Amino acid sequence: MLSLLIAHAVAALLAPTLVRAMGRKAFLALAVVPAVAAAWLVSQTSAVLRGDGPVEVVRWVPGLSMDLSFQLDTLSWFMALIVTAIGAVVLVYCASYFAASAAGLGRFSAVLVAFAGAMLGLVVADDMLLMFVFWELTTVFSYLLIGHYADRKASRRAAMQAIVITTGGGLAMLVGVIILGDAAGTYRLSELLADPPAGTAVTVAAVLLLVGAITKSALIPLHFWLPAAMAAPTPVSAYLHAAAMVKAGVYLVARFAPAFAELGPWRTTVVALGLGSLLVGGYRALRQNDLKLVLAFGTVSQLGFLVFLVGLGTQQAALAGLAMIGAHAMFKAALFLVVGIVDSATGTRDLRRLSGVGKALPVTAAAGILATASMIGLPPFAGYVAKEAALEAVLVSGETWVDTLVVVGVALGSALTVAYGLRFVWGAFATKSSVIPDPDAPEEDGEPRPAPVSRPALLLAWPALALAVGGLAVALVPHYGEQLLSPYAGTLPRGEAGHLTLWAGFTPAFFITVAVLAVGVGAFFARELVSRVQTRLHVPLEADSVYRRTMRRLDDLAADVTALVQRGSLPFYVGAILLAVVVLPGSVMVARTAWPAEVRLWDRPAQLAAAAIVVTSAILAARSRRRLKAVILLGVSGFGIAMFFLLHGAPDLALTQILVETVTLVVFVLVLRRIPPYFSDRPLAASRWVRLAVGVAAGLAVGGFALVAPAVRVHTPVSIDFPQEAYAYGGGKNIVNVALVDIRAWDTMGEISVLLVAATGVASLVFLSRRSGSLFRAEEADGGAAVWAGKEPASGVTRLQRAASVHARQASSAERYSRMRVWIRAGATLAPGRRSVIFEVVTRLLFHVMILYAVFLLFSGHNAPGGGFAAGLVVGIALMVRYLAGGRYELGEAAPVHPGLLLGTGLFLSAGVGLVSLLLTGNPLRSLLIDLQVPLLGEVHFVTSLFFDLGVFLVVVGLVLDILRSLGAEIDRQGELAGQDVGPGAATVHGGGS
Amino acid sequence: MSYAAPHIGWLQIAPLAIVLGTGLVGVLVEAFVPRRARRTTQLVLVFAALVAALLLIVAQWRDTMASGGVSLFGGSYLLDGPALAIQGTLVVLSILAVAVFADRTSVGQDAFAPAAAAVPGSDYEELARRKGLEQTEVYPLAMFGLGGMLLIVAAGDLLTLFVALEALSMPLYVLTGLARRRRLLSQEASLKYLLLGSFASALLLFGAALLYGFSGSLHLGEIAAATGTIAGLEGLLLGGMTLLLIGLFFKVGAVPFHAWTPDVYVGAPTPVTGFMAATTKIAAFGAMVRVVYVVGPSLQWDLEPMLWTVAILTMVVGTVVALVQTDVKRMLAYSSIAHAGFVLVGVLAFSTEGIASVLFYLVVYGLATIGAFAVVTLVRQTRTGAEGTVILGEATHLAQWAGLGRRSPWLAGALSLFLLSFAGIPLTAGFAGKFTVFTAAADGGAVPLVVVGVIASAAAVFFYVRLIVLMYFTPEREEEGEEGVTVVTSSGFTTVVIAVAAIGTVLLGVLPGPLLELLGQAVKFLP
Repeated sequence: MLSLLIAHAVAALLAPTLVRAMGRKAFLALAVVPAVAAAWLVSQTSAVLRGDGPVEVVRWVPGLSMDLSFQLDTLSWFMALIVTAIGAVVLVYCASYFAASAAGLGRFSAVLVAFAGAMLGLVVADDMLLMFVFWELTTVFSYLLIGHYADRKASRRAAMQAIVITTGGGLAMLVGVIILGDAAGTYRLSELLADPPAGTAVTVAAVLLLVGAITKSALIPLHFWLPAAMAAPTPVSAYLHAAAMVKAGVYLVARFAPAFAELGPWRTTVVALGLGSLLVGGYRALRQNDLKLVLAFGTVSQLGFLVFLVGLGTQQAALAGLAMIGAHAMFKAALFLVVGIVDSATGTRDLRRLSGVGKALPVTAAAGILATASMIGLPPFAGYVAKEAALEAVLVSGETWVDTLVVVGVALGSALTVAYGLRFVWGAFATKSSVIPDPDAPEEDGEPRPAPVSRPALLLAWPALALAVGGLAVALVPHYGEQLLSPYAGTLPRGEAGHLTLWAGFTPAFFITVAVLAVGVGAFFARELVSRVQTRLHVPLEADSVYRRTMRRLDDLAADVTALVQRGSLPFYVGAILLAVVVLPGSVMVARTAWPAEVRLWDRPAQLAAAAIVVTSAILAARSRRRLKAVILLGVSGFGIAMFFLLHGAPDLALTQILVETVTLVVFVLVLRRIPPYFSDRPLAASRWVRLAVGVAAGLAVGGFALVAPAVRVHTPVSIDFPQEAYAYGGGKNIVNVALVDIRAWDTMGEISVLLVAATGVASLVFLSRRSGSLFRAEEADGGAAVWAGKEPASGVTRLQRAASVHARQASSAERYSRMRVWIRAGATLAPGRRSVIFEVVTRLLFHVMILYAVFLLFSGHNAPGGGFAAGLVVGIALMVRYLAGGRYELGEAAPVHPGLLLGTGLFLSAGVGLVSLLLTGNPLRSLLIDLQVPLLGEVHFVTSLFFDLGVFLVVVGLVLDILRSLGAEIDRQGELAGQDVGPGAATVHGGGS
Repeated sequence: MSYAAPHIGWLQIAPLAIVLGTGLVGVLVEAFVPRRARRTTQLVLVFAALVAALLLIVAQWRDTMASGGVSLFGGSYLLDGPALAIQGTLVVLSILAVAVFADRTSVGQDAFAPAAAAVPGSDYEELARRKGLEQTEVYPLAMFGLGGMLLIVAAGDLLTLFVALEALSMPLYVLTGLARRRRLLSQEASLKYLLLGSFASALLLFGAALLYGFSGSLHLGEIAAATGTIAGLEGLLLGGMTLLLIGLFFKVGAVPFHAWTPDVYVGAPTPVTGFMAATTKIAAFGAMVRVVYVVGPSLQWDLEPMLWTVAILTMVVGTVVALVQTDVKRMLAYSSIAHAGFVLVGVLAFSTEGIASVLFYLVVYGLATIGAFAVVTLVRQTRTGAEGTVILGEATHLAQWAGLGRRSPWLAGALSLFLLSFAGIPLTAGFAGKFTVFTAAADGGAVPLVVVGVIASAAAVFFYVRLIVLMYFTPEREEEGEEGVTVVTSSGFTTVVIAVAAIGTVLLGVLPGPLLELLGQAVKFLP
């Protein structure tokens, strides 16, 4: 069997080449493959009948317990025979159906053969997973085949619809398969059916399998893809949508019926949907004017009947079902082929435009009539035999009202079949008194004429005739059929062995058949009336439109979800993450932790004031609309924290906190100059409150963590030994500082490296080409330059002033100081409007004091509050003051040094200390304590970590300088080049104005 | 203070050391090798390093699987089966992804900005472009990122985990901002990624702190041991685990921590998108599986509600939102979110089969992802102006892909294959991946998850197939005025990558057995 599948695959791969070489005749060559397969299957008949059909097992994916296992039992054999035989016939038909010049035949032929192979694989596979693989392959191939006329929109849509529905069903089936395999411990069909598992999960699995079958076999309520799929070329309709693919669902039901037919949900589903489809399909087939659609709805109807029969679970029904499968495959394929002939002969499939076709094409008409006779169940055709057996089967179990209903349903469905069958024959072949005009043709005068009939090749009619005659032939030997099929029927749990026969005597079934024929014929002759009633009866809920609406809803839903969750707004995203934090760990905190038994609210009332400041400013910051305001409020809350530190007796932390806040604030302001003043231009009334709520929630959650975490602490804090170690090894009394430069010196080392990288990053981003630009010494300032001049043209007065100041700079220094009262060295480079005498004077007074203070902090830091970090920040703030007072040239004058130099030296110093101590003591970064007697000064306590601290100091100064030079000076310069007003007050000025 | 020097297994850390070392050397190359020779030097270095790393990983496979792995650096670096397997996957996929980096196509430009720091639209940028500058920093950056990934999957303690997470994230933040075209979008993406990523890192760190508070140790094994012995602190433990997992959820792009994914995937240069879509997710899942399986088992009942919620949300949101996308990269981004959900389903199997299935899925997903994004790099917009037709950036709008199957059947065929694999159609690797994951989860009792997963897969088929339909069945749009679409010729690298990915996807679909068996050996975590 594997070799047959491989043959199909090879044929499919070769098909395009063959088509290129031989044209459409290649289909004849390709037909050999399924024909050979059918011949082989016939040769296996006796073995299958004996019950020892061939079995093949090849290990494929042992890890997934997926084997290539095939088995040929009665059901497989029968289905495989249908698939291969009709496949061969259809391929022969293709050879003359397509125009010799038709495009895309190569691909079409390949896919059709591949489909035949997949279908064969599906029915002979003995492994559920393998079966699923083939199942999905048929879906994909059918998709390609339905979409063959890719340039037609209807075709594309139908293909899409078919694949969406059948793949969905396929996946449902996969879940069922997995559950079943899991429950049974094997994926082998034969083993599973031999010992079917039970339980709720298995029931669910069985229903899921049914879902797969329903989608594939186009049962209600998912039947609508099948009529739409009629957009495919007719051979495809004949093969996929009559004989093969749609039968896959029937096969699946038949395959699992022996194991699950007894389950309540299974039976309910099968009976309700099977009979429902039978009736709905038949009813809708009556209404169609397109011959292919008549057949399509007829197929829906028949498939419902088939699923009902094979799923019912009695032996009689199963036998009838199999017989019906065979009969249906033959007559429905034949009918589709006939429609194809009519279509190609007349150019239309609209039965209202056809007239006299039967006379023109007698062979075709003969095939069509024979096939229809089988379909409507006239003796002595296969359809009759099967339907008689089916009626017998449903009559046997006539006990409850449900059974009665079933009988009525089947009879009604059969009557509908008779009606639309007759209407089909009439529509296709009869000579009618009047026809409707061609909608595409130009307006004609007089009576509209029927579509003209041309003569297609006779080869086209033979396959249809062969199939139709086959339907007659097999019916003449019903006992043989019964003998072949009953081994499968015998595997079903209930009922007695059924029989296939042409004449069973005057049984109730016979009378029902007569009644059915009578009603059907009556309905056909009353077709005008029926169609009027049908038009009157409005069906409020059509499955097709429900599907379309569902898909549209899904699209809308997706769009809404996208709009909701993916709005591209960073605050929204951050808000989502924060909310997740509040909800997930927050709920754990509330539900699963013990709150501290006793909470001391404050040590002294001043803390309450600090808390009030922090909380108020944080809340205000969260709801502020202007960036600057938010930044300042954040700063305020930072200062509040510093107050906390101070009140807790940590002056060192407080000092550092204040300095950091100050520097941060200034850097923020520098950056904000180039950013719009408001977070958003839109009024934020509502969203501000939302933001506030998120912020408060996040704050409460984190606050809660902070409250809970220390209370549940069970381990000793690592810092418990710090005070003692700091003094003994680090030689200092300021624990914070010693921790920085000694105990945690490695960390500090890493941190200052990061500082260096960050500073370099900021500078490179702003300066672009070089690490940093010029130093902006005052001498470089060209005479006309006016820093922060803004856009306003210089007035006469200011120009005069500037000329004077330039003149002043050029004068000798002695003269300068004596006459012009220059407080800061580069003040003159500033636009006069930007100068502030008070600021300059204060700067003059403060700068050196601050530097001195920084030096003090640096050296006293080991024992008192201070240290390199704080000292560096103080120097940084001093530089900032100079920059703010006098612009970039003032900064250049204050620190005429490249920040890179400071950064490098700093890191070198710190690392050097580590290296030296490694050389001296064998441990890196270990402090050496040196006590010296210095004349005059007395005893000097000296620790080598001071050098380390000095390195930290230099790095921090370098960082601040770098930021000032890039975010301050360089942006000023670029702004001036671009003609923008970017003075330090720009952000506020803009803000105030708008 | 007595101090035991940590045991260093040089062979075991060699792949990691080689990759990181190459990154460092790459930086020096940038500084000292003349501009003309830089690209070649970088490429030779990178590929040599990756191949060497791969060989070393292969060399230790047998021993590692036999011994169950080694614990190095006092348990900080655990080279066990899963770690080695994921490292191997990462290196293989990186070779492919970096090859796409290197492709200059027939246009003669790579996908990276000539001067990434320049203000978009400035004269400076224009000057750099006209001078034909090329940045080759992407190679060392990619190496650093990969180094972080190799480390994170073997991280035995939370600090190493955090450091590795940062090491893998930082280079990606930068790489994201380097797109040659649509600079503003790229920079915005980079900024968003950085900011949101920082939040996630902070949460992870917070979680690590809580876990330390709970157990007094940062080692996963010791935390796991503590779960059984310490009572009364479940709040810390669960809170910590939750925060830790949130950090990792962020990296894998699980809902509701996925917000960055689409923007970043779209904004980043497409080769980088392919790189991070595949490798970051794999690395983060590697870490997550370790955390969940080492610490999690005793917490299974407590963690499951959250993990299930996230998994279901991820699958559903990823799929539903992907349905309406009109941009190829964005659609792939959402599909990658959905895939994160599928992998989570495998993680939730809480069994060794679950681990193997996750490993397999990641390989499969990574291959198809890199392949798909590689295809995207070749489909370009054109503009016909006075001076002839100019080839611009990628044509990512879906409508622009109409009719691609007729003009470039092989390229469209490859992409279709990747899409079918994403959709999980049988005989593609994606099916085997989904199947293993779902089977493992069903065995582990997570049947509802499997059902949701299957439904999501079914819905996902829709948008994958839609693109295939578009490429093959929809006629090409009429050229509207000056705008057009063309397929540029790869300079070789991308073609090879697409071919390898396609062959791999088919091979793993038809014969997943050998790889599944191989990965089946690698399911034992060192405590």
